[in-house]
Amino acid sequence: MNYLIRGRVALVLKIVIVSLVSAILLMLTQSAFAQREYVIAAYLAISVLILALTYLTKISIPLKFFIPGILLLTAFVIGPILYTVAMSGFNYKTGNIISKEEAIDLIELRGTETSPDGLAFDLKLGKFGSEQAVLVSDITNLKYFVSTGKTRTEVAAADVTLNEYGVAVAAPNFVALNDSELSGADKAYSAIKFKYDEVYFIALEGLETGIVSRQLLEFDASNDQFINLVDGTLYKDNGRGNYSSINDESVILEPGWRAPIWFENYTKIITDPRVREPLVRVFIWTVVFALLTVLTTFALGLLLALALNKPIRGRRIYRSILVLPYAMPSVMSILIWGGMFNTEFGAINTLFGSDIAWFSDPNFARAAVILVNLWLGFPYFYLISSGSLQAIPSELQEAAAIDGANPRQIFRKITLPLLLQILSPLLIASFAFNFNNFNLIFLLTGGGPRNDLDGEIAGATDILISYTYKIAFGSSTQDLGLASAISLIIFILIASISLYSLKKSKVLESFA
Amino acid sequence: MKNWLTQNLWRHVIGISICLFSLFPLYLVVLSSFSSSGSLQLTSFTPTEISFKNFKVLFNDPTIPYLTWVKNSLIIAGSVAVLSVIIGSASAFAFSRLQFKGRKFGIQLLLLVQMFPAILAISAVYVIMERVYNFAPSIGLGTQSGLLLVYLGGAMGVNIWLLKGFVDSIPTELDEAAKIDGASAVQTFWLIFVPLASPVLAVVALLSFIGTFNEFILARLFLVDMESRTVAVGLQQFIGGQYSQNWGPFAAGSILASIPIVIIFLSLQKYIVSGLTAGSVKG
Repeated sequence: MNYLIRGRVALVLKIVIVSLVSAILLMLTQSAFAQREYVIAAYLAISVLILALTYLTKISIPLKFFIPGILLLTAFVIGPILYTVAMSGFNYKTGNIISKEEAIDLIELRGTETSPDGLAFDLKLGKFGSEQAVLVSDITNLKYFVSTGKTRTEVAAADVTLNEYGVAVAAPNFVALNDSELSGADKAYSAIKFKYDEVYFIALEGLETGIVSRQLLEFDASNDQFINLVDGTLYKDNGRGNYSSINDESVILEPGWRAPIWFENYTKIITDPRVREPLVRVFIWTVVFALLTVLTTFALGLLLALALNKPIRGRRIYRSILVLPYAMPSVMSILIWGGMFNTEFGAINTLFGSDIAWFSDPNFARAAVILVNLWLGFPYFYLISSGSLQAIPSELQEAAAIDGANPRQIFRKITLPLLLQILSPLLIASFAFNFNNFNLIFLLTGGGPRNDLDGEIAGATDILISYTYKIAFGSSTQDLGLASAISLIIFILIASISLYSLKKSKVLESFA
Repeated sequence: MKNWLTQNLWRHVIGISICLFSLFPLYLVVLSSFSSSGSLQLTSFTPTEISFKNFKVLFNDPTIPYLTWVKNSLIIAGSVAVLSVIIGSASAFAFSRLQFKGRKFGIQLLLLVQMFPAILAISAVYVIMERVYNFAPSIGLGTQSGLLLVYLGGAMGVNIWLLKGFVDSIPTELDEAAKIDGASAVQTFWLIFVPLASPVLAVVALLSFIGTFNEFILARLFLVDMESRTVAVGLQQFIGGQYSQNWGPFAAGSILASIPIVIIFLSLQKYIVSGLTAGSVKG
């Protein structure tokens, strides 16, 4: 072992691993750079540099221990946190997902209008001289012409070769694409506006048809605006990720792009009642849910710990059975409980002979959530309370008993206060954990029930984190900017609670 | 006799009733996994039949690649557990034992970072990995290796923090002696620290394994293909999707997947509980 670490084997191994990792990272850097992901490319390049410096020189010994952890931490924790901060300052939602350049291209591409008589022609793709061209057949009028982006050349009916449908397939100076060229031509040819007349052009619709269209919206790069060529309306950048009409701010061109709106996602939470009201409702339930969970799980766990605090017969068996809910993978247990609450077939209704639609009624759904979380969580507090009960010196209780206190008084005046003091950091940690207990809500009720009629996505059992998830990944609209802002607010809340608890438990003092 | 009643009867009453509460769902799953009706219905408390139909479906139905899901879960959770302990313990060792500039600041930063619940950054991770996919399809969104990296990195803060707590509690006498004997930091780490801390490292690896095995939402966002899913995602989709109400095979599948976890948990209960009090809460 010692030889392995100090000897040549270790050195060779180290060089091989470092070069291998560096080579992979460099490859990734290069492709990231090619895709214009400059931030990621820079991160990767710096990682390679640091790796090489750390492991191939003697610059710093602590760094040798830190580097892998820190690189991962930066990439997948600090990076995403910073990215969340950045996203929260942007108008970044459905309709405003892409970059401005992409949005301009798309608006131009979609800003066309077909001719009033809906003219469409069969055509063939090919080359006219060296230029990309289409051979267009006007079958009704038996007219044929070759169009490129700039010119339109009539071809006499006598000069073209027709196929069995009457579509021209060959003409003088026109070379049709063969099948293999055709398969890759889609993108290049779709981007070309083949000439029809002074105003209209032919836009490709598939590989064999063209529709006569005209450009409606034209981009004016020097003034950063769109002009409607027909009615002359100007569309200016509204500073929020869209071009909007100068006559009517609410008329905007789709799609928009992600644009910085600074603190608007945050101010919206306070000022916009459509955002604020569901959020306040969800926040209140989140706090109630987390508090009730801590209270119920702690109470039941403590009761058990007290009951089994004496070496009674079968204590070991009790203990093994009691921790089972905690040992089961929680995803499975939650899904099983979900099935048990089923109205028609569920075991709960069968057991009590009731007919309750558990997940359709807000209050029953909330009760179910609390009950399931009680089942999942009480073993944790049972284990911890029974450990702590043994840590409380028995002298105190004995002294109280001698002074004539009854067992109930001893518990209320001595045991419980001491226990709470010992367990308060864990109670707070449990609160913080349940505050973000996404799996439970998502898998048990999906946040529901919710009122479909008012279009509100927050349900009766949604907690902040599941609501945020719905905002970010909802099925109809996705608002990553707002979701990020809410995420950061939750983080600040959780971090303050945790820091307060740590401060209380004096962990921070050990840094001094 | 009267004494026994007042002293111990209530203890047994509470013990037995809460045991029933904790066993009820589990008993029901076992019951329905051996029933052929395929629902989680409670028809009677005693098993009326013992059928292996549900287990056969799991292993033979080509539309339910259960074994592949199990394999995926084991590979992902296993790799995350091993790698995160190796990488995390090195960092934890440095924070705990080595002296360097900015140590205090580093620890405070780590403390703050590990408080950030990974789930809050989920949209950022999603968008970042979507962009990574554009230039590196093999580690971006939709791949198991991408998910593995996200798990590994995402849990790094908590893992280093947890491990640091453990390392702090290991007495320093031995590595100080090694230092006096002329051992370098790297030697102290491998020859003194790792053997000394190996039981603790094993527990942290197991906690990390169970946590990853249980992780649901990132896996659901990341793994779209039927074949690449983990057990948690596969089974959830299985009862939520086209097979709704098909509880029999689901029950069988969750029992099989849970048994190893439950066994690990019960046999290492003592250590895991000490890990839990040190600040981690099982998800």
